[in-house]
Amino acid sequence: MRIAFISLLFAVCATWPAVAGPCTGAEAQLAQVSKALTVNALDIAENALRTLSLSYPDCPEIVLHQARLAQAKGNLSKAAELYYHYTDTDPNDSRGLAYFGRFFLEQRDYMRADALSAAAVDKNPDDPAALALRGQILLMKRQSSEGQSLLEKAIKLDPDDPETQFQLGTIYDKAKAAAQAVEHFRAAATLNPHDARAWDYLGLNLELAGDLDGAEKAYEKGLQVNQAGRYHDAFLDYNYGRFLAKRNDLSGSKRHLDRAVESAPQVRAVWYERAKLDMRMQNYQQARADAEEAAACTQSGGVIDLQIYSLLSQVYSRLGNAALAKKYTDLTRATPPPVRGEQP
Amino acid sequence: MTPRKLFTIALVVALAAPPKILSGADAGRIQFENRQKNSGVSFVLDNGSLPDKPMIDGIPGGIALLDYDNDGYLDIFFTNGASLPGLAKEGDKFSNRLYHNNHDGTFTDVTDRAGLSGEGYSVGAAAADYDNDGRTDLYVTGFDHNVLYHNNGNGTFTDVTAKAGVTGVSSAGKKLWGISAAWLDYDNDGKLDLFVVNYLDWSFATSRVCGPAGKRLSCSPTLYKGEPNILYHNNGDGTFTDVSEIMGISRHIGKGMGVAIADYNDDGWMDIFVANDNDRNFLFKNRGGKAFDEVGVESFIAYTDNGLPVSSMGVDFRDWNNDGKPSLIVTALGGETYPLFRNEGNGFFSYESYKAGIGFRSLKMSGWGAGIQDFDNDGYKDLFTANSHVSENADLDGQQHYRQANAVFRNMHDGTFQDVSGDAGPGMQIRAAHRGCAFGDLNNDGKMDVVVSAIGSPAELLYNTSTGGNHWILIKTVGVKSNRNGIGTRIKVTTASGLVQYNHVTTAGSYASSNDPRVHFGLGADTVIKEIELKWPSGTVQVLHNVKADQVLPVTEE
Repeated sequence: MRIAFISLLFAVCATWPAVAGPCTGAEAQLAQVSKALTVNALDIAENALRTLSLSYPDCPEIVLHQARLAQAKGNLSKAAELYYHYTDTDPNDSRGLAYFGRFFLEQRDYMRADALSAAAVDKNPDDPAALALRGQILLMKRQSSEGQSLLEKAIKLDPDDPETQFQLGTIYDKAKAAAQAVEHFRAAATLNPHDARAWDYLGLNLELAGDLDGAEKAYEKGLQVNQAGRYHDAFLDYNYGRFLAKRNDLSGSKRHLDRAVESAPQVRAVWYERAKLDMRMQNYQQARADAEEAAACTQSGGVIDLQIYSLLSQVYSRLGNAALAKKYTDLTRATPPPVRGEQP
Repeated sequence: MTPRKLFTIALVVALAAPPKILSGADAGRIQFENRQKNSGVSFVLDNGSLPDKPMIDGIPGGIALLDYDNDGYLDIFFTNGASLPGLAKEGDKFSNRLYHNNHDGTFTDVTDRAGLSGEGYSVGAAAADYDNDGRTDLYVTGFDHNVLYHNNGNGTFTDVTAKAGVTGVSSAGKKLWGISAAWLDYDNDGKLDLFVVNYLDWSFATSRVCGPAGKRLSCSPTLYKGEPNILYHNNGDGTFTDVSEIMGISRHIGKGMGVAIADYNDDGWMDIFVANDNDRNFLFKNRGGKAFDEVGVESFIAYTDNGLPVSSMGVDFRDWNNDGKPSLIVTALGGETYPLFRNEGNGFFSYESYKAGIGFRSLKMSGWGAGIQDFDNDGYKDLFTANSHVSENADLDGQQHYRQANAVFRNMHDGTFQDVSGDAGPGMQIRAAHRGCAFGDLNNDGKMDVVVSAIGSPAELLYNTSTGGNHWILIKTVGVKSNRNGIGTRIKVTTASGLVQYNHVTTAGSYASSNDPRVHFGLGADTVIKEIELKWPSGTVQVLHNVKADQVLPVTEE
């Protein structure tokens, strides 16, 4: 329904002639293009931009949205070129700075993302795109309360921005506030059903909230849309596999954890989780292989040495390898558990 | 279709259906009724809370169910806190309490006459007849005082702590923070020994504060060092010897809260499980009464399947799936699940919280007391947990609740449990800061009742009013060569319909509490027990045949 409405608007509005400035008369269409890009409706945005660029060849804002489109489609060099072009043309437009900043953020160029997000908010402290980006950057800089307040301001100004909803969701997820997290992830996933990350987090938090059927559906929807690109989630299979194991669907869990180790083989957590499942399925040789893979990984994914030692101790005990079982039992004993809870 | 065909189909269906061992098994519902209001039990647990929420104020609340006057009915003893930071039992509100059971659903406060009001900040209680004189004695643990009360047999008790040498002071001279205690005869010499579980190396001088001012939370125990546990050997002359070091106990530093005993490897020697808070749990494997090996890691009960500790608090150690192997339930904080460790019988335990169906349900619960008991008398033991978050300000984060309802999980006979708390009556819907709970049959009707303490609220007397009319037996062991209570006796019951169940004599378990020493079995529809086999700690094996159901059966060791 939303897509049909947007298409209709473009069809009607694209025929309006330009009157004054280079973008005059295109405002509504541009707003709709921006919205389409925000919710990842790329075909609609692309068609509309093509029409608009014919009708308003000198409108610079079209360049901004073309940059966003190129970014969304993974054409990064073209996107960068267009962003540079737009910010040179209109260096005072907070949106240009914000979207360019988000581009850098996605390229993990955090310094430039930081600088551009700060500049964007300076230019317009009421621009939701600028606020959302700055909020996210501040969260990454561990300025949590400032980041959260900017994101909350952004969501009030533009509640239909799925990325802002997603970022707010992550705040509540970290705080283990499942009910609030669900609210934001559900909004993010509804606004942008292509965002596999949002579905994954929605599943995780529904699980914590006790809505197991809802979690199952969320994971499954996420898997349906989990394709390479900016919304890809490398840990969706991992999380769904863990969930299925808790629901005692071991073969289903295995299927997804197999995919998880394929998609993130460098991460200890995925091997660790599959090794645990192997143990449950009494496939101790495979458990040993997976646990040793986990031990060799450099990226922990949140799994600490103590967990690995404990698992290997069990694996080798089950296999009857007394020497290695003792080695890892001793390591388990010698490794203190993590300090938990709130620090004074 | 002809009648003959119909009959044939019915016969085939009947033969194909799985055998129903207990016809009454599905008939009843687990129900509890809180009868505190008219009982005369007015006890309110007072933790002496301070605004900074020091570690000490989250953890009191042990209960003992004991028949101190040998009238055949369980009486109730509650431990209580003290004023903080002074640690004094100033006035009645901090007094420990003993309530005498009047056999009519009412109780009389006999604390003063009994001399059990206590001193200091009390936490746990363990009841048993340590001197084999036929009267139940009482050990009370606490932060600053552990006290052994000898039962004089006339309604009074005498503090014999110093003479007995069970002060809870370590060999280094430090009074350790006692939480739970367990009576067991670890060397099978016929005299009950005492295991004392200690918590943290904490004091007001080293106390830290957590959470913002005005919204303080109990700090994580990981911010403090743990303490060793103590094992006292009973010398048989009213004194005990601290054997913690030579028996291999004190070298293991934990953050102990709950304790339970069972012979998990069926070698005739009682083993000890200690639930450690945010540290690895201990399983002390008894090496023939000569020493203990701590095998928690090797047995896979040190951590959950995630390889990390949880906030282990309460524990029970009994056979819930009728395979003859005692297994474990441990309570923990919200977000952690209640670990359920099934004893595989090969030295290993498997973490089965999710497999057994309590994983997701317990994620939102925080628990203290815990019990594995057959509440509907269907022949399969169910689970009970006394719930509450540790932090009074837990609700501030929106996800945790300080005051929680208790939970009961019904055994579905297939290795899984179902949370039936919501249907278990209004008594199970009371949201309170529950802590300890003790299990026993208060009115000798064959149904296991639960007494639960709660900080700032009246204790709950949850009488079991489960429906279904299933049968039962309570076995009261009287040791002769073995210790008088028969603690450690392993009992196997085979009913006429063929169901085989196992349990053992112990008062230890739950959180800081002491249970009915009588061993309860639900019998379903069976009115006769084909065979009862008792393996006494002395090594004596005694077998009874064709025992009538629905009775409290005294069994004296032959």
